[in-house]
Amino acid sequence: MNVLKRTALALALPFVLFAGWWVLSADSENFYSPPLSAILTAFGDTWTLDRIRADVLPSLLRLFAGFLLAAVLGVAAGVAIGLNRRLRAVAEPVLEFFRAVPPPVLVPVIMLFAGIGDAMKVIVIVFGCVWPILLNTVEGVRAVDGVVLETARSYGVTGPARITHVILPSASPQIAAGLRQALSIAIILMVISEMFAASNGLGFTIVQFQRGFEIPEMWSGIILLGMLGFGLSLLFRLAERRALRWYEGLRAAQRSG
Amino acid sequence: MTTARRDGPARLGNPVLLGIAGPAGLLLLIELAPRIGLVDERYLPPASRIGAALVTEAGTGVFWTALWETLSAWALGLALAVAAGVVAGIVIGSVPVLRALTASTVEFLRPIPSVALIPLAVLLYGTDLGSTLMLVCYAAFWQVLVQVLYGVADVDPVAFETARSFRFSAWARIRYVLWPTALPYVFTGIRLAASVALVLAITAELVIGAPGLGREIAVAQASEAVPTMYALIVVTGVLGVLINLLARTGERRLLAWHQSVRGEVAL
Amino acid sequence: MLEVKGLKKVYRSGEREVEALRDLTFTVARGDLVCLVGPSGCGKTTLLRCISGLLDPTAGDVRVNGKAVDGPPPGMAVVFQEYGRSLFPWMSVRGNVELPLKQKGVPKQRRHELVEQSLDAVGLSGSGSAFPWQLSGGMQQRVAIARAVAYEPQTLLMDEPFAAVDAQTRADLEDLVRQLWKRLGVTILFVTHDIDESVYLGQRVVMLSSSPTVVQDELTIDLPAERDQLTTRADPRFIELRTRVYEQIQAAKKNVA
Repeated sequence: MNVLKRTALALALPFVLFAGWWVLSADSENFYSPPLSAILTAFGDTWTLDRIRADVLPSLLRLFAGFLLAAVLGVAAGVAIGLNRRLRAVAEPVLEFFRAVPPPVLVPVIMLFAGIGDAMKVIVIVFGCVWPILLNTVEGVRAVDGVVLETARSYGVTGPARITHVILPSASPQIAAGLRQALSIAIILMVISEMFAASNGLGFTIVQFQRGFEIPEMWSGIILLGMLGFGLSLLFRLAERRALRWYEGLRAAQRSG
Repeated sequence: MTTARRDGPARLGNPVLLGIAGPAGLLLLIELAPRIGLVDERYLPPASRIGAALVTEAGTGVFWTALWETLSAWALGLALAVAAGVVAGIVIGSVPVLRALTASTVEFLRPIPSVALIPLAVLLYGTDLGSTLMLVCYAAFWQVLVQVLYGVADVDPVAFETARSFRFSAWARIRYVLWPTALPYVFTGIRLAASVALVLAITAELVIGAPGLGREIAVAQASEAVPTMYALIVVTGVLGVLINLLARTGERRLLAWHQSVRGEVAL
Repeated sequence: MLEVKGLKKVYRSGEREVEALRDLTFTVARGDLVCLVGPSGCGKTTLLRCISGLLDPTAGDVRVNGKAVDGPPPGMAVVFQEYGRSLFPWMSVRGNVELPLKQKGVPKQRRHELVEQSLDAVGLSGSGSAFPWQLSGGMQQRVAIARAVAYEPQTLLMDEPFAAVDAQTRADLEDLVRQLWKRLGVTILFVTHDIDESVYLGQRVVMLSSSPTVVQDELTIDLPAERDQLTTRADPRFIELRTRVYEQIQAAKKNVA
């Protein structure tokens, strides 16, 4: 009963919005907002398997390559900086500046160095994503509990084991927060770098539709991008919940205690 | 305290000096790397040339107009998003049915990348301020809304029951119980929205060509004025740092009384 | 064998100097159980951290089995007061007990034996796969004791381990410590601010003065080796001894004022 009610509540508004859009746009003469039925037809016609292989897949590969590289670099540098006070004092102002630079302005800069190929897009994503991951890792490493560190030290948990068994797990909730921010930046940069200069990819295709005034197709692209964003954030949350089960439990225990 | 033995204050060095050393080192690197041929000068001009370009830019009216346009789009978009986010957050958050009804929709709409709206904005507003505003509002709105929802959910039920038992009106309950609890979250939302709004303002200008610093960067890139391009990028970075600093100090000052009660909300 | 000679610790922060330990000398014979007791804020924790090699003393030295301590000595285990922070929340109970053994290079087979034995010894054989935060405070401190026991130390340091658990759990844990001490033949240095606890547990009690700390007095506890919460605490000799410790602590407080 409860599950049923919750499902109904979750689906009610999306259904109403969808129906509303459908009804209101049904006889739309407006060039820019075609009937939803037309958009959905266009969606089916546009995003065929071939199209997905030619345009969506390359986008996703760039996204993952950039995101993963940024994650590895950001966490590694973050641990190093977080553990070394002097390095932190030197690096922090520079890092704060790089984080504050709006990531899309990196596109023209990196185009100078790396041209307009896949490498450019991956580098853009890495450059934009690495800062929130890095800074959050630094915060997480700094916040490792003193008693935890002393325990590790007095039981001989030192060197690499200290990092893998103590520092990284303890910082993982903050690292996850950084990765979550980075993921949405990665999607933005993927689209923008493709809008700037590309011969395939989601961003490129959507802009092509817009320039060709293929409005239903453009709408279908926007919807696909939205679904992609939603799907990726859902995946991320599932992974996060699995990896940080201990953290959720700990927090719940602390709240009730 | 284990760190005390490894780097006590005496061995750490002056933190201010070290803080200056970082940026100074970076500037030196950017100055020397192109000069000794480590990177191509056409791609990364020496820091001094970027600096010179910045000075030249600052002498032009175009630069100041662009800066003003970016900042006004940022401020206007942020203000609209904050107003809409706070009102929607309080209404949705304080009515349980609405909250349950909208949860899935909010979860679905929030992760939609705002740049997906770029083609739509172009069609609707062309290269006007409207395009920038649309993207800024969309992106900033969710930051505020989600934080306000957290804030409203954080209201102590006992405080709310107390207010009800004293027959507070709905308005008084919002004014004296709900709002003070939600306020810190509202500020967090504004701080987050402020940075996101700047990113989207510059992005819209850069990609769509709406007036502002972003468009100037695109123009500099197209005309191969590389030092100018770097100079403008530095300006956007400085803007970002200033907005962060301002928002953080503002938040801290206004919420000094509340900090101890509440840990930072995860982003 | 644990020797503390002329130990002095001065904390410096900028211009200010705080002398925590002035001049401490005492020894703990191999296989002895010594309680350190002193008024609150007397630098007990500072002393323990110097002994465990987590903190460098300003002057004087600590020797464990004849070797000077600089850094956590091998063969020493520490049970911290803050059990909630000293156990790693991202690891199961078993993982927490096992990690130091892994670091010591104990082979897998032997590791599992030690983990099971020590969990059994503290009465937690069924909770190995639980996370620490799923257990009560008293049980968490049992896990910390199991971790120390599994480490097979020659010396066990306990820093007010029962200060944060309720009175009944505390009595159980005190008996557990006595029982483990007799069974394993380890040297135990037990720091507490509870006078009754120090007399009940110790073979010897070392009383400390207020900060800056010196040894106020030492007392041999000539109670029978078999102790029991009911009869021992009602024993006239117990009451006599605790009165003496109490008087010394009171005297130590007055000396400062």
